[in-house]
Amino acid sequence: MTMSFSAPLVKIQSLYKSYGPHIQVLKGLDIEMKPGERVVVIGPSGGGKSTLLRVMMGLEKIDSGSISFGGKPYISSEGADRKTEIDSEVRRSIGMVFQHYTLFPHLSVIQNLILAPCKVRGEAKASATKRAQALLERFGLGAKANAYPAQLSGGQKQRVAIARALMLDPKLMLFDEVTSALDPELVAEVEQVILQLAAQDMPMMIVTHDMWFAKNIASRVIFCAGGVVVEDGPPEQVLGAPKEERTREFIDRVFHIRH
Amino acid sequence: MALDFSIILRFQDALLLGLWTTVKLTLVCIVLGCSLGFFIGLARTSRSAILRAASSVYVEFFRGTPVLVQLFWIFFCLPLILGVELSNLTSGVIALTLYMGAITSETFRASLKSIGPEQLDACVALGLPRRVQVTNVILPQAVLRAVPTLLSNCVSLFKESALVSAVGMADLMFVGQNISNNTARPIEVLTVVALIYFVIAFPLTRAVTLVERRVLAKLAI
Ligand SMILES: Nc1ncnc2c1ncn2[C@@H]1O[C@H](COP(=O)(O)OP(=O)(O)OP(=O)(O)O)[C@@H](O)[C@H]1O
Ligand SMILES: [Mg+2]
Repeated sequence: MTMSFSAPLVKIQSLYKSYGPHIQVLKGLDIEMKPGERVVVIGPSGGGKSTLLRVMMGLEKIDSGSISFGGKPYISSEGADRKTEIDSEVRRSIGMVFQHYTLFPHLSVIQNLILAPCKVRGEAKASATKRAQALLERFGLGAKANAYPAQLSGGQKQRVAIARALMLDPKLMLFDEVTSALDPELVAEVEQVILQLAAQDMPMMIVTHDMWFAKNIASRVIFCAGGVVVEDGPPEQVLGAPKEERTREFIDRVFHIRH
Repeated sequence: MALDFSIILRFQDALLLGLWTTVKLTLVCIVLGCSLGFFIGLARTSRSAILRAASSVYVEFFRGTPVLVQLFWIFFCLPLILGVELSNLTSGVIALTLYMGAITSETFRASLKSIGPEQLDACVALGLPRRVQVTNVILPQAVLRAVPTLLSNCVSLFKESALVSAVGMADLMFVGQNISNNTARPIEVLTVVALIYFVIAFPLTRAVTLVERRVLAKLAI
């Protein structure tokens, strides 16, 4: 993919999304994300953060709007029939890790990792297994290759889930509250893995309620509420000295501390 | 009344042949019935209202009528309607397959429902094509979760298979009945026939519990 440095990696344009006739969740969202950016999305519960990420992953239909990736529109609903069009070729460059464990319970860790590369890209089993093993070593899971998900801790499961997504060489990673189902002592090991990816300039969009993590990972923070972007800026501004009253209230209430 | 079980030994070969027929018939109908049941189970959880309606009519009908009536209907009525002769083997296989399809579809439906939507989210996020989602993610989990109940379904089928003797198929029950009629020794013969059914069905019933524990441990559900 060739593009000038300033060209956006992701461009979300007037995105509308509702669940049924009464629940309007996203109400004209506009977000541009540059290559190499790590965007943290914060906002009140029910504000549509998960919905945004699920839409970007192509898991939800939209009412209207469009999303492009690397200059190519891959999700849109513009025509008269209001049908959500998804370009699955482009979507394949995006990986996602969810809040709840989504490993395949009947497959071992290594089988979880190689399923998609072998079935989607037709990679040879031996080469996929080699890459998978290397990735597991890197994430401190080398010894767990043949374990089943049920035998792993929550933190280990989430690290495997991240490794599984990375097997497809994504150009963008989406993380939706990947540590909020974990026991507090397991949060750090998962966040370390994501920080490791950040150090390698992996573009990512992260939904989190963890202030420490948000500060350490974000190159940009977006505060979403009521289905629109309320404030968008560098972490020092949005987390530290918000310009918008609603952002300030939220930060005070949720994070308690403000710097 | 003097009981003489040695009579059984004289008819050992005939009984074994009957048992072999019963086992073959059961195995064939397990394979056909489970395959049918899986697709009906899928249809019952499908998004298409037509598929859902058609499949539930089938399931409810076959679960709500006696297997013996189904078998007779297929043996006596279907040939009249289709204008073709159906051997007792063919009608037996059709009837037991449809019966097995109906009961296992319920088993598969329950196991399919127990696979959470987040599994499908993961499939989509990994870009797995629909075919791979079904064969590598949904099917194995559905089958694993269904195994304990499927085993009970198989035991039911094995027992119900005795009904084919009513259309003259030479299964264990049919052979037993014949011997008992010809020797006028129903107590010895039918007791042994019951014991043979039991000796095969009982371990399977116990296996259900064992497999259940194993599967549950593996999938952590
Ligand atoms: N599948 C669905 N069907 C109907 N309503 C839904 C569905 N998914 C989400 N919603 C509703 O849409 C709204 C936004 O949900 P979403 O999960 O995107 O919020 P969120 O910002 O991620 O919240 P949280 O911080 O609690 O995770 C909520 O009111 C929620 O109840
Ligand atoms: Mg959420």
